[in-house]
Amino acid sequence: MSYETIAIFMFVSMLLMLLTGQRVFAAIGIVSSVAALLLWGDGAVEMPFNAAFKLFNWYPLLTLPLFIYMGYVLAESGIADDLYAMFHVWFGGLRGGLAVGTILLMVVISAMNGLSVAGMAIGATIALPEMLKRGYDKIMITGVIQSGSSLGILVPPSVVLVLYGMIARQPVGQLWLAGAIPGLMMATLLIIYIVVRCHFQPHLGPTVAQSERDMPMSEKLKLLRAGITPFLIFFFMTGLFIMGITSLVESSAVGATAATIAALVRKRLNRKVMEETIRKTLAISCMFMWVILAALGFGAVFDGIGAARAIESLFITNWNLTPWEVLIMMQLSYLVMGMFLDDTAMLVIVAPLYVPLVKLLGFDPIWYGVLYTITCQIAYMTPPFGYNLFLMRAMAPPEITLMDIYRSIIPFVMVMTFALVLVMVFPQIALWLPEYVYSK
Amino acid sequence: MPKFIVNYVKVIDYLSTKFGRLAMYLIFVMIATLLINAFTRNIINLPLSWCIEMAQFTMTAYYIVGGPYSMQLDSHVRMDLLYSRFSPKNRARLDSFTAIFLVVYLVCLLIGAISSTMYAIEYDQRKFSQWNPSMIPIKVIMVFGIFLMLLQAISTFFKDLAKSRGIELS
Repeated sequence: MSYETIAIFMFVSMLLMLLTGQRVFAAIGIVSSVAALLLWGDGAVEMPFNAAFKLFNWYPLLTLPLFIYMGYVLAESGIADDLYAMFHVWFGGLRGGLAVGTILLMVVISAMNGLSVAGMAIGATIALPEMLKRGYDKIMITGVIQSGSSLGILVPPSVVLVLYGMIARQPVGQLWLAGAIPGLMMATLLIIYIVVRCHFQPHLGPTVAQSERDMPMSEKLKLLRAGITPFLIFFFMTGLFIMGITSLVESSAVGATAATIAALVRKRLNRKVMEETIRKTLAISCMFMWVILAALGFGAVFDGIGAARAIESLFITNWNLTPWEVLIMMQLSYLVMGMFLDDTAMLVIVAPLYVPLVKLLGFDPIWYGVLYTITCQIAYMTPPFGYNLFLMRAMAPPEITLMDIYRSIIPFVMVMTFALVLVMVFPQIALWLPEYVYSK
Repeated sequence: MPKFIVNYVKVIDYLSTKFGRLAMYLIFVMIATLLINAFTRNIINLPLSWCIEMAQFTMTAYYIVGGPYSMQLDSHVRMDLLYSRFSPKNRARLDSFTAIFLVVYLVCLLIGAISSTMYAIEYDQRKFSQWNPSMIPIKVIMVFGIFLMLLQAISTFFKDLAKSRGIELS
């Protein structure tokens, strides 16, 4: 059997194993273990375990549990409630104003946390009930929350870019800065979409009653104070990192501490809340870590059979594609695979195959990191497999059906794909800021 | 279900919970270690070489020993395209069948972990760095965690098997 056939065979068996509904890490782990044993005999039995030491050496992954912890603390801290109250008053008069406020809230949360978990938790507990109460259409609400919270992995700090940086051996600081402008641009595009759609179809997002928004200007200005704490957290975490004072993993510890202090000051933390927070942190961290562990084992087998070279020869020699066509093929294949396979596992398995190709074709790996992250955001939302989708399903109230969720994401996915195309066509959207900051 | 299976499930679930809840608090150890590092380097100008490595060891122990408890909490994602359409009883049937994947994978991990630990003990393996810590403790912890994960997987298998026959264990 040729190595290409083995690679395809492994991929297909992984897909079949996943379809049985067994835990993702087990489905990936069994395929890689069996493949290693069949390919290289008894000596390869240690391969799955050796992945644990690869994971060990990827110490920037320490940011993962810390950001998860921080996300849950932020959700409990009440910072988001204040912010939401502010956006409620300031944007309530606009058709679809609460949805716009939700996107802005998500941008602020994204600037404090590197995952979409925090945004989802806050969106589902604060923004979702509020919008439902005001008669927002169901298909508007879940799309707003899902696309908004996915900004968490694009706006710095970002855990996906940390993972990408480890795989592609690129500096995380530059990657984070490269995500900043595309993140803000995507938020702007989402807001434009909401405003335009609600302008023509007011029943999707009615305005908030005048009586609720009616308050003197001084009161309105006071509400802006809600932005102070998030700004401080952002400064201590990302600011100190970009200035080179704290290292990457230290900055996530600083962020976790800052969020804890903010929650303590607001007297939101008691024993029970704290216990629940660290239990959820453990559960979600273990989920991600075991998937990464299994995927690294899978990647090691792929490495052993030279899958990266096989893809390279397929795209460049056999199909004779131009660099741009290869790039588009990679993004499309990632989107399609991302629908059916676990997204984190995809990142760990597929990125090592694609990144060398990107470098070979002469594209900027920093820029590709941003494209990759946006593709990931879309993959997180698209059915049938997406973390945001799972979280949304778990957190949404029963009157929102699965079909509502699926229907609501379509236009938002289209807007996000448009943002992806923009960054592809105009690389400077991503590259200007890191070049400006690091060339000084 | 035979009595010894019921007891096995009880004991293993108890152990996973206890150790998992112990691992849960390691998040604070990670935060504290990293903060100490940031503090001593920037404020009193004393770079500590062991902090990052200590945090790496802690993270490994955190997710390996926490694994069994998180499996008990059923927080490991599944691809539920088909799975979500089955009745709970059929899901349990399917799970008790596909548990073999889980068990075989964990056995492979365990064999690798044990042989790696034997090697570390035999040659007194140390991490190549300024701090130069012994690798034995973390490897022993990993063997323990993976073994507990295997025991928990078997316990989960018994629970699914019982559920597919309409009995709830634990």
